[in-house]
Amino acid sequence: MRQVKLVLLSWLLGCFFITAQNKQILYDFTEIPQALMVNPGMSTDFQWYAGIPVLSGISFQAGSSGLTVNDLFADDGVDFNVKVRELAIYGMSTRDELSGTYQVELLNGGFRGRNRDNFYSFGIYNEGDAIGYWFKDYAILAFEGNANQLGRKFDLEHLKTRGEMLNVFHFGLNKRVDGALTIGGRAKIYSSAFNFSSTKNKGYFVTNEGQNNLLANTLDADLELRSSGLNEIEDALDNDTSLLPGILTRRLFFGGDLGFGIDLGFTYKLNKQTVITGSLLDLGFVYSSTDVKNYTIKGNATVEGIEVILPDAFSNSNADFWQDLVDEVDALVPHGTNDKSYIYFRPTKLYGSLRYNWGEPSNPSMDCDCNYIVSKRKDYTKYANGVGGQLYMINRPRGPQAALTAFYLRRFGRALALKTTYTVDKFSWSNIGLGLNLQAGPLNFYVMADNLLAYRNLADSHYSSFQLGLNIISWGKK
Amino acid sequence: MKNRFLFPCIILLALYSCIERQNFDQYEDLEIIPTVEASILYIESPERLLNEIPGQDFYSQDFNFDGFSVDAFSDRVLDGFVFYEIENTTSKEMEATVEFLDEGGNTLDTQYFHIDPAPTPLVQLQVAYGIGTGRSIEIIKNTSSIKVSVRNLGDNSSVSNLPDPKIIFRSSGQFRLRLK
Repeated sequence: MRQVKLVLLSWLLGCFFITAQNKQILYDFTEIPQALMVNPGMSTDFQWYAGIPVLSGISFQAGSSGLTVNDLFADDGVDFNVKVRELAIYGMSTRDELSGTYQVELLNGGFRGRNRDNFYSFGIYNEGDAIGYWFKDYAILAFEGNANQLGRKFDLEHLKTRGEMLNVFHFGLNKRVDGALTIGGRAKIYSSAFNFSSTKNKGYFVTNEGQNNLLANTLDADLELRSSGLNEIEDALDNDTSLLPGILTRRLFFGGDLGFGIDLGFTYKLNKQTVITGSLLDLGFVYSSTDVKNYTIKGNATVEGIEVILPDAFSNSNADFWQDLVDEVDALVPHGTNDKSYIYFRPTKLYGSLRYNWGEPSNPSMDCDCNYIVSKRKDYTKYANGVGGQLYMINRPRGPQAALTAFYLRRFGRALALKTTYTVDKFSWSNIGLGLNLQAGPLNFYVMADNLLAYRNLADSHYSSFQLGLNIISWGKK
Repeated sequence: MKNRFLFPCIILLALYSCIERQNFDQYEDLEIIPTVEASILYIESPERLLNEIPGQDFYSQDFNFDGFSVDAFSDRVLDGFVFYEIENTTSKEMEATVEFLDEGGNTLDTQYFHIDPAPTPLVQLQVAYGIGTGRSIEIIKNTSSIKVSVRNLGDNSSVSNLPDPKIIFRSSGQFRLRLK
C-alpha cells in the first residue's frame, strides 16, 4: 500500500514538473548542438562541440490539459469544493492529462570524423517522464459514492498512468550522404532507476437492484500496476534516506534495469531553399527485472450482502456467514502481488518539418572576432530567414498525441539567432514560444521558453517549458 | 548592439511574467464525503418450513457482521440509513426483531416488525443514524453482529393460496463517509 502511495507521489511530482516532451523550438535549430538530440540527421557544420557538463542541456516541461493551478487555487472567494467538483471532477475528461518530462545532460560532445561527411556525437543524460490521465470515474466514485446511481457503471479503465526515471547513454552518427541528403542514427542504452505503469486496466463497478436483496454490487476487474525499482527506494525513504543517492546512482549507471533504443533522422533539401526533415526518437524498450513488484486484481463478483436461504442454512447455522462472504469475494476477485519481470516501451516521438529559407546568406565571419566559426561545408548555406511548419507526435497510453507548429527563424550573423514558434496541441491553442541562440566566440548559449502568453499569470498556464544550455563549439580553423 | 536589443527583451519578459496570488490553504477546505450503499442481509424461508417447526419461535440467528466495525468504515462514517423490507406471501401472521449487537453481545439497537398474513403489502422501514436522527451513529460503528428473530404468530398448518409462499427479509445500508 505504501508503495502505491509512492507511485502516486511520484506521479504527482512528475505531473507538477510536467509535460509533453515536445521540443519544437529546439528542433532543427541547427546552430545548437542539442538539436542533434531531436534529429540525429540534422544538417550540421560543427567541427566539434563540447557541452559544459550538467549545463549543456537542461529542459523542464510541465502541463495540464484539463485545468490549471489558478483554476483551483486562485484566491477568488469561490468555495474550493465547488471548484473541485465543477472544474475537476466533472469538468475534465478521461483524455485530459497531467504529464511531464525533464532532461538534464550530464555529458554531451561531438566531433567530425576523418571522413568529413561524418559527425559523431555522444553523451549521457538523465530523464524523468510521467503521465497520468484523469481517472474520472474513480474520482466520481470517491467524491459521490455509488448511492442513488443504480445501473451506472464506473469504468475502471480510467486509470492510466506511467512514469520512469532513467539515464540514457548514447552514441550517434550524422552522415552527409550528398549535397541534398543528411541522415543520422543514434544508439541508446537505457539504465532505469525506477518505473511504474498501469495502462491496460479493464472492468467496471456497478450497483443494481438485487435479484434477491435490495441491492447488488458488481465488480468486474482486470487491473494491474507494474513497478520496478520502487521497493528499495521505499525502504530507504522509510528507514534511512541517506541511502537514496547511492541507490539511484547505482541504478542510473548500469546497476538497474537496462534497455536499448535508437533514434533515426534525416534532412533533405528539396531545392536550394526548401528543406524537409524528420526524426523518430526513442524507439526502444527497457527490460524490468530488478526489484519488481506488480499488483493485480482480476475477477468478477456480485454481492447482495449475507444471504440465508432456509432450510438449507439450518445445516450450517454455526457458520460465519460474513467471513464466508468475504472469502467468496476474495476467491472470485483474487488480488495480490508478484515479481514477474516485464518489458516496457519508451514513449516514442516523431518529428517532421518543412522549411523555406530566404534572405542573404549569413556571412560566417560577421560580428565575430574569432577564428572558430568558419564552415568548410561548401553546400552548407545558412540563410538569414527560415519559415515553415513542424509536426510532432508521441505515443501515449491513450494513443498518439500530436502537435502542429509554425515557426520563423531569424539569424543575425553568426552571433545571434532567434526562433519563434506558434504551436497548437491539446494543452493550448495560443502557445507562442521563443528561442534564442547566442554565439560568443566558441561559447554557445541558448535559452528557450514556451507558451509566453501564459507568463502573464503562470499559475493559469496549461503548459510551459524551459530549456537552456551551454556549449563550446568549433567550426574548424580558418 | 545586440546586447542593447537582447537584455531589454529579457528584462521585459521577466517583468511581464507574474503569478497571480494563489491560496493553497484552500486545500484544507476540501471535503470528500461520498455516500455509499450496499445490501446487508437477506433471509428467506418457505411457508412449508413455518409449518414444520412447531411453536412460535420459528427462527433466531446471530450473524457476525464485521462490515460496520472495520476501521475503513467505522473511522469514517458520519451518518446514514438502514433500509428494511419484509415480504410475506404466507398465510402466517408474524413478528420479526432485528437487533444490532456489539462485540460483547450487548444490544445496541432494536427494530420490531409486525407482519400481517398474505395478502399484505410490503413492510418497509427506513431507520436513520447520526446527528439529529435520535439514533447515534455510534450504534453503527460498534455493531459487530446482527441478531434476527422471527416468531410465527399463526398456525402450523395453513397454506397460502399464493404461488410459492415465502417470508422474505431484505435489508441494505446507505452511509456517508468522510474520506477527507
